[in-house]
Amino acid sequence: MDKVINKIALKELLYKTADDLLILGHRNSEWTGIGPLLEEDIAFSSMAQDKIGQSLAIYELLHDLGEADPDTVAFMRNAEQFHNCKFVELPIGEYEFSLVRHFLYDHSILLRFQQLSTSSCQPLAQIARKLVGELRYHIMHADLFIKKLGTGTDESISRLQTTLEQAIPFALGVFERSPQESDLISDLIFTGEDDLYTRWCHEITKVIESTALVLPQHNLSEAKTGGRIGQHTPHLQPLLDEMAEVLRLDPSTDW
Amino acid sequence: MALDSLDPRIKRCNLQEQRTKDFNSQPLDQLPTYEVFIQLKETKAFEHAGIVHAATPDMAFLFAKEQFSRRYTCTGMWVVPSDRVWVTAFSDLEENIYDQIDEMPAQEAGPEEDYEVFHLIQRGKQHQHVGRVTANSHLQALQKAKVRFNAGKPILNVWLIKINDLQTTNLEDHVIWSTLHEKTHRDVISYRAGDKLKQFKEKQQPDG
Amino acid sequence: MYGGGNTFEATKFDNLAKEDPIKLDEFEARIAGGEKIEPADWMPVLYRKQLIRMIEQHAHSEIIGALPEGTWITRAPGFKRKLALMAKVQDEVGHAQLLYSAAETLGKSREDMMQDLINGRSKYSNIFNYPALTWADSTIISWLVDAGAIVNQLANSKGSYGPYCRALERICVEESFHLKYGHHAVIHLATGSKIQRQMVQEALNRWWPPMMHFFGPPDRISVHTEVLMKWKVKMATNDECRQQFLDMYVPKIWELRLSVPDPNLQKNEETRQWEYTEPDWEEFKRVINGDGPCNKERLAVRRMAEERGRWVRKALLTPDAKYVTPLA
Ligand SMILES: [Fe+2]
Ligand SMILES: [Fe+2]
Ligand SMILES: [Fe+2]
Repeated sequence: MDKVINKIALKELLYKTADDLLILGHRNSEWTGIGPLLEEDIAFSSMAQDKIGQSLAIYELLHDLGEADPDTVAFMRNAEQFHNCKFVELPIGEYEFSLVRHFLYDHSILLRFQQLSTSSCQPLAQIARKLVGELRYHIMHADLFIKKLGTGTDESISRLQTTLEQAIPFALGVFERSPQESDLISDLIFTGEDDLYTRWCHEITKVIESTALVLPQHNLSEAKTGGRIGQHTPHLQPLLDEMAEVLRLDPSTDW
Repeated sequence: MALDSLDPRIKRCNLQEQRTKDFNSQPLDQLPTYEVFIQLKETKAFEHAGIVHAATPDMAFLFAKEQFSRRYTCTGMWVVPSDRVWVTAFSDLEENIYDQIDEMPAQEAGPEEDYEVFHLIQRGKQHQHVGRVTANSHLQALQKAKVRFNAGKPILNVWLIKINDLQTTNLEDHVIWSTLHEKTHRDVISYRAGDKLKQFKEKQQPDG
Repeated sequence: MYGGGNTFEATKFDNLAKEDPIKLDEFEARIAGGEKIEPADWMPVLYRKQLIRMIEQHAHSEIIGALPEGTWITRAPGFKRKLALMAKVQDEVGHAQLLYSAAETLGKSREDMMQDLINGRSKYSNIFNYPALTWADSTIISWLVDAGAIVNQLANSKGSYGPYCRALERICVEESFHLKYGHHAVIHLATGSKIQRQMVQEALNRWWPPMMHFFGPPDRISVHTEVLMKWKVKMATNDECRQQFLDMYVPKIWELRLSVPDPNLQKNEETRQWEYTEPDWEEFKRVINGDGPCNKERLAVRRMAEERGRWVRKALLTPDAKYVTPLA
């Protein structure tokens, strides 16, 4: 990055992306050993590991940009310093909620990385290009499960439908605009949340339409926002406390 | 009474300690199984790896990917419903199963189809892919396989799978394995602690 | 396993009187010659029964074994430990999948096995009925419990049943990662700060007695399993496994200046055998029969997982797909 860019805006973009992945990776890992089917347990765990790994790659990039090391950044901040959307911090609930969240969120992150793979920020573009491969698997998995359970039994359809209605406002919170986003757009770092949202609607509609589910009418004005500026649900801080419980016993030592 | 678990995940589930009903899973719960074959390198043959339980071939493929190729490298994967594999009898050691096929009853001929052929050459090992034949029945496929692939060690058992029954990887989907070699957190090599141990022992030496 | 200390039924030779003597001879000759038995082969009823029992117990131990360590995934300190533990526990679930599959080739469906586990008709390794109280407990499990498991699994991988051996070969490769990771984590605690050293010593104190139980009662009071040894179902005696474990790991514990909570533990250089205080076999029996600190929770969690997942499995079923015994 030779030309002068808005570093604060770039860091904000990196933080929110990494924080989303870190928190969702932790949430999804809670299913390890108690999933609905052994094979699904294994697949879901791999995808949770991928997410934590993806967040690490971005925290490392932030470290290169002058931020603290990944362990400190990931495990030593408080909720109000986190930029993840509220969607990812909600408890895992029943499997249908975790699945619907996985479907809605992963479509957004795949599109985000696809977009970032042509970013003018080279190191970011490089990470993004690499990760779209493994994210393709996540999407194949999410789409197949939504299709199967969304056309399965009356029970599975109604579980998914109810959860979809509850999840959509939170999912819209993924696309909360950042204050300095226009700089990112003009610097060709990122094409912006609105653009992402339009593409996302297209992708998820395609899948939902092939099932017995009905995508609820939605509008960005109903989005559960605030996560991007550090306003969170009561679920985040206890999770962060848990994540750092051991590390905080002695943060200066090597665990 | 709610179980007071040490596990925060379990605590959040608010689990009850006593249930009166006997646990009973309906026979319906049992999903069918799929046989999984993987290819570790482009130059290597596909080899049987194991099975997964799944609802459909595409789901079997997704499950197999994480159960049988989470480590090292993988260049391709095939899955087939367990009941779509045609299996010969098992031969005894030193006897070649192909030598016994003349005794097999004739089958009705159907349309010409492609079959993938798999051999087992040692008990305890996995079946390996050896090639493809076109035939109008399993028996004819076996006859053709005998002509083409029966060389070297005695073949103990043969599997035949119609290629229409095999779910294979699309080329553009190969990117799902693209970051596999970077998943070093699953590898032994990431956990070397010899230096730390050595330092510790040296520090202990004087009083030890 | 997990699961030395397999519980076998007492076997009597007259159970074999009903078997075809010629087929039995062939079967035994094959095993004596070092060949593997494959699912389609003829086998004595007793062989099939005891194998299902053993492989099933092993599989249960893996899926239940995922619980005490799974507790610590969210709390694992830092990225490196987090990713390692996630992958490690995932492997254990994967091991259960592989082992249930091997048992399925003998004709028992996975759902049946799961049902027997939850209803208490089938056992799993006793050691997972103890709690992982601190982070250090999870590292001791990853290191020493997995070390014990490897001793058993390496022995069993030379057994006679093809599908079980193949599953174990795959499992052993992954176990070497578990062992290395566990040792790495324990080394960091033992060579670290005062708090860390204390934590790991206390965890070792807690896990030593269950670890001594791990391989099962001493040979002199165990069920006789000669025929199972001859058929290469059981590959090493409980005491042989325990001695091998002590030989390999006590020196590694001592080099970290950790103490083993048994004042009588020492190697008798004459007999080349380890001597130790006899573990409390009454406690072992009590815990295996349901009265351990975590038995109730382990089964309740497994049951919850099955019950909460039922609607998913039901919705996934397609009416035309039917379950058949898998091939290999
Ligand atoms: Fe294991
Ligand atoms: Fe283990
Ligand atoms: Fe293990």
